[in-house]
Amino acid sequence: PPPADAGQAPGPPDGGWGWVVVFGAFVSIGFAYAFPKGLAIFYKEIQDFFGTSYSEIAWISSIMLATTYGAGPISSILVNRYGSRPVVMFGGLLCGIGMVSASFCTSILQLYICVGFITGFGLALNLQPSVIIIGKYFLKRRPIANGLAMAGSPVMLCTLAPLNQFLFDNFGWRGSFLILGAILLHCCVAGALFRPIGPAIVAGKTQATGRKDVLKEVTGNATNAPTENKMEEEEGKDCCEKINQYLDFSLFKHRGFLIYLIGNVLMFLGFFAPIVFLAPYAKHIGIDEYSAAFLLSILAIVDMIARPTTGIIANSKWVRPRIQYFFSFSIAFNGACHLLCPLASGYKWLVVYSAFFGLAFGMVCAMLFETLMDLVGASRFTSAVGLVTIAECCTILLGPPIGGTLIDTFGDYKYMFIKCGAVMVLAGIFLFIMNYYNYRILAKEEKERKAKEEDPQSVRTESEDRNNWNKEPALDGPELEPLREEGEGLKKEMKGT
Amino acid sequence: MPVSFSGKRLGRLLLLLLCFSPSPSGGSPADAAMTTQDVSQSQANSMTKMQAGLNESSSEPITTTRAVNWQTQRSSSDHLRLEHNASNPALLGPDPTPQEFKQATNENMSNVTVVKHEVLLSGVSGTPVEKTITLDRATRIELLCKLDAKYSHLKSLQVTWKKGNETIRHINKTENSWSVHLQILDNSKLGSYTCTLKGEEEISATFHLQVPKIQGREKPIVSYEGDTAVLICKTFGYTPIAWTWYMANGSDQITINGSLLTDKYVINGGSANVTHLKILKLTKEDDGVYQCEAAFELGKSVGKLKLEVLSLMVPLKPFLAIVAEVVVLVTIVFLYEMYSKKKDKYANEKEFDQVEQLKFEESNGLENSSARHRKI
Repeated sequence: PPPADAGQAPGPPDGGWGWVVVFGAFVSIGFAYAFPKGLAIFYKEIQDFFGTSYSEIAWISSIMLATTYGAGPISSILVNRYGSRPVVMFGGLLCGIGMVSASFCTSILQLYICVGFITGFGLALNLQPSVIIIGKYFLKRRPIANGLAMAGSPVMLCTLAPLNQFLFDNFGWRGSFLILGAILLHCCVAGALFRPIGPAIVAGKTQATGRKDVLKEVTGNATNAPTENKMEEEEGKDCCEKINQYLDFSLFKHRGFLIYLIGNVLMFLGFFAPIVFLAPYAKHIGIDEYSAAFLLSILAIVDMIARPTTGIIANSKWVRPRIQYFFSFSIAFNGACHLLCPLASGYKWLVVYSAFFGLAFGMVCAMLFETLMDLVGASRFTSAVGLVTIAECCTILLGPPIGGTLIDTFGDYKYMFIKCGAVMVLAGIFLFIMNYYNYRILAKEEKERKAKEEDPQSVRTESEDRNNWNKEPALDGPELEPLREEGEGLKKEMKGT
Repeated sequence: MPVSFSGKRLGRLLLLLLCFSPSPSGGSPADAAMTTQDVSQSQANSMTKMQAGLNESSSEPITTTRAVNWQTQRSSSDHLRLEHNASNPALLGPDPTPQEFKQATNENMSNVTVVKHEVLLSGVSGTPVEKTITLDRATRIELLCKLDAKYSHLKSLQVTWKKGNETIRHINKTENSWSVHLQILDNSKLGSYTCTLKGEEEISATFHLQVPKIQGREKPIVSYEGDTAVLICKTFGYTPIAWTWYMANGSDQITINGSLLTDKYVINGGSANVTHLKILKLTKEDDGVYQCEAAFELGKSVGKLKLEVLSLMVPLKPFLAIVAEVVVLVTIVFLYEMYSKKKDKYANEKEFDQVEQLKFEESNGLENSSARHRKI
């Protein structure tokens, strides 16, 4: 006999086409993070060409980064409305157009607009939807998927850096921008792979819905309740909470979201500055240019390996329920590395520092979005990621300039490392403590909820749970319940079909 | 490598050198007057030598103009005090013999500190010891060859100082070091000076005296037709007297005159240590090797830059190829998706029919009709 709960809104596949989506996200995220860094190779030439100062050129990077993070909410709204695929494809197209028009620029201001705004906006439209769609395709294996997708950033950086150099030697900066525009169009390919999935998109799954309803008929369950509930909920939403449908501002009442927001905003103040200043610091203490560049390569390689590995570790059954602790630990570990860096005297110790920094950096990045998904649930993640990125945007932009000011004031790099380390250790500790309280409160709420719903209609409880997981403001506890129940449900479904 | 390592020490010593460069601030006015006049005469000498060294006939007027400019500039600087009227018969001959040398030293730069450049001979007789000294203006230097303590037992040592094949006779000897004092006033004094110690083994060290090098670019600058190209030359730490740009067309050298053809060439940065050559409205003929020449007191230094002018078609081909590839990939992805959806739909319909069959056998007609209604 067909299983009772098999026909429910199909949970995330956790595999199959999901891995292709992970590959697409790998490419998309890789471009979004690595492309601004890879452009630095062209800056010297452009600076000579336009006769500007270095800081004016550095604005290109800053504008690009600011737009990529600041356009997060817009990205979220578009994904909420249209789904991931069209947004990513449009983003890729926009990036391509931006770079192609940049190759015909005749002033630095035009470069700001073409490379900074247009390409930055396109990359923003790439970044958020890629992360969002992973949450739609994966639940049980989500940390691994996140880790693999985020590994795109160092891999793309390692690919783009020599590629950019090759393009520059052969085509000059204008030709390179033209060809890079074409290369960025591959984001469209990545976007094409993002097949829509999920309960919100009804059109793509009509046959599945049909099947589900039929099976309910057969088994004679509390039949129409789930689907009708869903329709009623949607109508209610349309009438009253239209804005929240586009961008869920009610997240600001969500305890976990607020904890994450504050902790991350604090962390980003000291996150990127050490990377920016690692090579100059190495040169400052007397290491030659190539060895200093090699430090960054070590960082990238360790980063590349650390991200999927962290994903696998975070997915293990010991860590997954406590993933917030793991995240806070990795942030604090990162901070500790920076605090110890000034003690590194000599090239060998700097290599060790770079390796540990790469490890810590990879760990944090791999879990950056996973922890947010864990806290707010997949359905609200779309809006959450937009709100978080625009808040982070400020501190990300402030981090390196503050570090630079510290270096200039004191003439010594160690204060910058101490500041970054201290900020990150503080953020790690803050997240650790707050999440401890959060877990406790959630456990309490879960107990109360379970006590309330201890009635013989176990089937309805299950179906409600699943609906809760899909639609309601997700509590953190239920994340764990559906994990087990989904697993059972999926297994049964497999046997049934 | 000894040369590069010594280059670092050299850099520091050069800083010293610059600090101690001839800037006679003291000294009696009379001395000073004679000093400046003699110095100016020697400058004039060096300028004539430079002029003689030039091959281009068309650039003669430019060089003399530059010379005049240079002299007027120099007059305002602290380094060498020049008067506009420079003409006392030179007291220096081309090759300083010891007496002349002494005389010159006394009369010309008696109040100038001498910069010492030292080399320690540690005696591995295979490896040549070399030191590069960069000079951009007339200085007095002392080159010292010092013998390592472990060789102090060697008694019968014969030391010779040579410049090329010429032997320098006046050598100062101290306990374990031999030095020569040199007055570098013009290009002919630059070169390689070698000290050779002949004992049981022969140990030698070489000092290379040269003008500052210009940092050019090894890789070509790539630009496009109709675009602008900016060629930049820099010297580090030394300010040349003048910059000149040339274009090498085959075997000829054509000077680029910034004052003519102002809509084609724009030259910035006259005598600072950076110069820009901006070439507007590039065409295929502008493709080639460009040279920037920095004129120093003691000679000239050349930097080479290569400019490549490409047509717009060159990057366009890879661009179109990649765009085509992207379009193909996107089409493949969409086609595959449509295909797999059709397959799924077909499989689902089959399954659905089977379930329908099951239901029809199990339940009554009412549920059957509602199921069909739901099937839309």
